[in-house]
Amino acid sequence: MYLYNELDQTLINERVEQYRDQTKRFLNGELTDEQFRPLRLMNGLYIQTHAPMLRINIPYGLLSSKQLRMLAQVSRQYDKDYVHFTTRQNVQFNWPALEEVPDILADLASVQMHSIQSSGSCIRNITSDPLAGVCADEVEDPRPYCEIIRQWSTLHPEFSYLPRKFKIAISGSPQDRAVTQVHDIGLHMKKDVEGNIGFEVLVGGGLGRTPVIGQTIADFIAEADILSYLDAILRTYNRYGRRDNKYKARIKILVRETGLDTFKAQVDAEWKDSKGGELSLDKAEIQRVKAFFVAPNYNVSDDTKLNSDLENSGAFRQWFNQNTREHKQTGYRVVSLSLKSPHRPPGDVTYDQLQLIANLADQYNLGQARSTHDQNLAFTDVRTEDLFSLWQQLNEHQLATANIGTITDMICCPGLDFCSLANASSIDIAQGITETFTDSAIETGSLKLKMSGCMNGCGHHSIGEIGILGVDKKGEQWYQLTLGGSDTHETKLGERLGRAIAKKDVISTVNDIVNTYKLHRNDEEKFATTFKRIGIQPFKDKVYGTR
Amino acid sequence: MALVKNKQIIQDSWHYLRAEQTPLANTIVSLEYWQQNKQALISNKQSFGLKVSGDVPVESFSEALKHASLIAVEFPVFSDGRGYSLAKTLRDKYQFTKEIRAIGDVLPDQAFYLSRVGFDSLELKSELSAKLAIEKLADFSVYYQKDSVSQ
Repeated sequence: MYLYNELDQTLINERVEQYRDQTKRFLNGELTDEQFRPLRLMNGLYIQTHAPMLRINIPYGLLSSKQLRMLAQVSRQYDKDYVHFTTRQNVQFNWPALEEVPDILADLASVQMHSIQSSGSCIRNITSDPLAGVCADEVEDPRPYCEIIRQWSTLHPEFSYLPRKFKIAISGSPQDRAVTQVHDIGLHMKKDVEGNIGFEVLVGGGLGRTPVIGQTIADFIAEADILSYLDAILRTYNRYGRRDNKYKARIKILVRETGLDTFKAQVDAEWKDSKGGELSLDKAEIQRVKAFFVAPNYNVSDDTKLNSDLENSGAFRQWFNQNTREHKQTGYRVVSLSLKSPHRPPGDVTYDQLQLIANLADQYNLGQARSTHDQNLAFTDVRTEDLFSLWQQLNEHQLATANIGTITDMICCPGLDFCSLANASSIDIAQGITETFTDSAIETGSLKLKMSGCMNGCGHHSIGEIGILGVDKKGEQWYQLTLGGSDTHETKLGERLGRAIAKKDVISTVNDIVNTYKLHRNDEEKFATTFKRIGIQPFKDKVYGTR
Repeated sequence: MALVKNKQIIQDSWHYLRAEQTPLANTIVSLEYWQQNKQALISNKQSFGLKVSGDVPVESFSEALKHASLIAVEFPVFSDGRGYSLAKTLRDKYQFTKEIRAIGDVLPDQAFYLSRVGFDSLELKSELSAKLAIEKLADFSVYYQKDSVSQ
């Protein structure tokens, strides 16, 4: 994991003091609401329905046990004893007091955490594959490059007043686990024929009101040139992106209106002058950062103990099958900590749980944890002989719901309960889905349900196999369903099922969809395959034929 | 109005061209005026500055760069970041080494970033704002990005 040097630490300390002064001047009336707004947003502070919301970055999802304990402490001292993990691997506090935010940030800075650019019209947290460094199919570990790009984009003087927010995700595997295709820029690590490291660059993806799948703008940009190439894209966007309408200000609209070829020519014209210049990455710098991410010394061990544990406990076996994954090293597994228990909203973790997770991370996972884009946590380096006792402790604290990848492991935004943008609630619908499907989730199989309380799409509904979007109809909450979306390396937008569904009918409609799938599936066929084979009509017939 | 340059508030030695006026030395003219009076401005041999909006492509006034002694980049609203890229482009790509001034809706909290992309003078709304801007220039003692070439 990357550790701050003196420069990194000085920078975030100075940022805390800068923000402390900005907050003070706002509270004194020296800054207007309008002037303070971008300043607080660029520091992750939103004004929400009940209270401000503070979003803290977790760079590409990596957390130390020390950081987990600090998040717990902040939740106790300044908030309501819980935090919420987001779809961009970040963490949110839902009840901080505006005047206490500088103190919160100072506490977080002491463990190398910050909220710089976690919101606002600037370059946001760089996200990546939660299995980076441990999955067998990896071309190259993306984390050092994430860190290099994080540093380059942090407090960037030129790109802090962009037309709109800007999100970058990097995947090091052909299996895309970072939804790179719905990011403003998606980077896929690859090697050329000579084995040189580089990136395929996708541009113009995004969710929200106008979901778009990113398109390839460059097949291969060498690692030395990646910053100058990103710089060229950002400058082109900053200069030509629309500023007249915030709903048309994302780069996806610029690329669509300009046309990919013309846009690419503009970027290349920009890049021609900067390529090979001050932004070139030299080998020494890449090596310096890579040194923070070398694989640990794995112990050679076999699965003897695991195999007997699996034989002895059915509940453990079920959890093992559902919530752990293959590790590149035999004798190790990747463990998902499900934040989708029936006891609390998706992505929420309590103070006690955070403390426990920190302790377990120290005990079983080299002192680290990772956040994932589907709002769970992961321990990526657990010895198989430790799995049983890890499971027991997770289970005691409601962190071992065996539902990863199933319908109850849904992505869900905070919705009307917290968010001032939302048109409809999502947490209560999530509860209903959990109640209805808990017993049958595993048997139903892999099924990704994603839900947003408004068309801004924080819950990724557009790429859910079942997508649910909250809409407002004359003051009433209705829900628009889509089917057949995908968040994989073949990202797809879902198809609209039909007219919106009243709130009281949403759960039964989802049930109809699930039953239709089960009726048509062949053997172990996944939802995506069945849907591809039979199309949307049988689902429409079932849902609307009966109403 | 108060002008900040070299971390101090200074007396402005430039003035903006008013309608029906003929430019004297140290006059800042509009892009339109430049386009209509190129020859006169060049042969006049008096120093002049050019005022452009942040969204104007450099190509439309690049010819002026070897004659003008100052480019004033106007921010229509502080949140419009195009002027930052314009200044950076003038410094890096066009190697413009003379004064680049930020004018319009310029806030003290932006002073640091503005100076980092190549602005060397900032026009602020009041003396109070200008003093604060000078303080804000010292917000950070470190940063990740390299400086603009001229600095």
